[in-house]
Amino acid sequence: MDLFVQTLVNGLLQSGLYALVASGLALAVGVVGIVNFAHGEYLMIGAFLAWAGSAFLGVDPLLSLPVIAVAVFAIGALTYRVSIRHVLLAPELNQMLLTFGLGILLQNLALMLLGGNTRTVTTPYQASSMQLGDLSVGGPKALAFGLAALLLGALYVVLYRTTLGRQMRAVAQNRRGAQLIGINVDRVYLIAFGVSCALAAVAGVLVSVLLFASPTVGLVFALKAFAIIVMAGLGNLTGVLWASVLLGVSEALVQTYVPGGGGWSDAVFFLMIFGTLVLRSYRGAR
Amino acid sequence: MSARNVEGGTPVRTAPRREITPGAALPLLGFLLLAALFPFLPLGSRAEFLLQIAFFTLVAGIMALSWDILARSGQVSLAHAAFYGLGAYGYALLLKAGLPWLLAMPVAALLAGGVSLILGAVTMRLSGMYFAIATLAFTEVVRTIIQNLPESVAGGATGLLVPALLGGNSRAQYFLAWGLLAFTVLVSLAVRLTRLHFAFAAIRQGEETARVLGVSIVRFKLLAFFISSSLAALAGVLYAGKTFFINPLETFSLANSIAPLTTSIFGGLYTTLGPVLGAGVLRVAEELLHNSVKNGYLVVYGLVLMLSILWLPRGLMGLRRGRKHGGDL
Repeated sequence: MDLFVQTLVNGLLQSGLYALVASGLALAVGVVGIVNFAHGEYLMIGAFLAWAGSAFLGVDPLLSLPVIAVAVFAIGALTYRVSIRHVLLAPELNQMLLTFGLGILLQNLALMLLGGNTRTVTTPYQASSMQLGDLSVGGPKALAFGLAALLLGALYVVLYRTTLGRQMRAVAQNRRGAQLIGINVDRVYLIAFGVSCALAAVAGVLVSVLLFASPTVGLVFALKAFAIIVMAGLGNLTGVLWASVLLGVSEALVQTYVPGGGGWSDAVFFLMIFGTLVLRSYRGAR
Repeated sequence: MSARNVEGGTPVRTAPRREITPGAALPLLGFLLLAALFPFLPLGSRAEFLLQIAFFTLVAGIMALSWDILARSGQVSLAHAAFYGLGAYGYALLLKAGLPWLLAMPVAALLAGGVSLILGAVTMRLSGMYFAIATLAFTEVVRTIIQNLPESVAGGATGLLVPALLGGNSRAQYFLAWGLLAFTVLVSLAVRLTRLHFAFAAIRQGEETARVLGVSIVRFKLLAFFISSSLAALAGVLYAGKTFFINPLETFSLANSIAPLTTSIFGGLYTTLGPVLGAGVLRVAEELLHNSVKNGYLVVYGLVLMLSILWLPRGLMGLRRGRKHGGDL
């Protein structure tokens, strides 16, 4: 029973990270209408920036986090200006392949410049853990979960309580209508895409502390984020939270209870994406 | 999603339909002839190496062209690596079971084609990004299964040894690859010049409309999957027989799905010449860059993909001015 509760808690903590990545992607898909296949690469950039800050400048990843978020926001905004903006009205296929190409480019650029090795960030609190009764919770994991919850809360406040957020939701609902009532759609897109990338980068910083930084670290998270937003339904940000918890917990359960879980848990996860997509299509969600 | 999104943001222009003249096949024939003559060129001391590059260029051509055939029916797949790998593994396992190679090759292709029917049936109703992600996930599932099967069955994560094709005679191997590329070109032309062309194009440009017109969506989508995947599996057989060692990570690598997609788009989507031409140009560029850009040659693929989408959406084929939509092969 203890093992079961421990597994649930671990899954729940993991889901904070997933929700962070997925809500960024949901923003890009929902507001800008772009399925960003390069989303994981912004996470990778965040992870490497955190590693570089800690290895070369001796700055703790959690301190450099705001700077990294702003930097990647700028990178995302730049990406929007030079590429995404030009395919907004193009066929969906072109948009998809453009971001796909961007992802390949960024990932392999990192591979070329930094090599395929994983880089770890060492922090004094890395091995710390907290005891709650019989449960033990890793310090960085709890920290990551708290930070994710905080940021997601902030995102909700921005989306539902500010003018910018209202504009974003208006654009998401109807691009032309928003334009007609005088919203600068281009600016909203730029900000939404930048924030989307920044959220991925923040998740990347956390990943660098929890796991490691490597050129291919982003892909897995991007795929999981896709699974989550598909489960949640496009543009449904509240659904993203539930879907993240579902994914995190079910993954933890597989890892704990399926023999040889390491190897097979990937297959289970991909089968889950596959199943979700197919089921949704047959329920006529589109 | 509206039907317009699939094919173009703007309504399809009604260009005057041009008849396909026999002359349209000339560049294609020229290309194949050139490829056939390649081994007879005075290649000097690096002949073996150059022949190997040429061999894999032909394999890339088969992959790109077969991917394009599937794309013509509106299905932009990221599962091409899966069928490439299934071809390679199917061939290796059939040889291990004692089949002669001449039989193992088509059987492996048909088996991969059979598996593709399952994938095609399941993903029938998905489109756009959903289809792409589902096919990507499928590839990973296949890879994980092969990797986790007992080592005595499929070699596990370590991989499998495969006997060399045609006793390792590289010139003979080259002609086999050439023959299979020619076969792929013939299949592609058959798709282009028969009613299949109209059925695929109708499905791609708007499924609802196609259905109203009486096109059997299920049948044609599955047919596209079967043709495309069987051909990809043949490419996989060539790969396995040439490298005589296959492992799950490399064989099912995402790169094997990306390369045909990029090649087709760079060369010119929905044509026969485009993907073949694209394979020639990109593979040669890749080899030239291999010395200066070490392990990240995929950077080039990413860049080419982005630049083609932004500035060359109809690929190399779009560069030939004066030819409107209908007349290209």
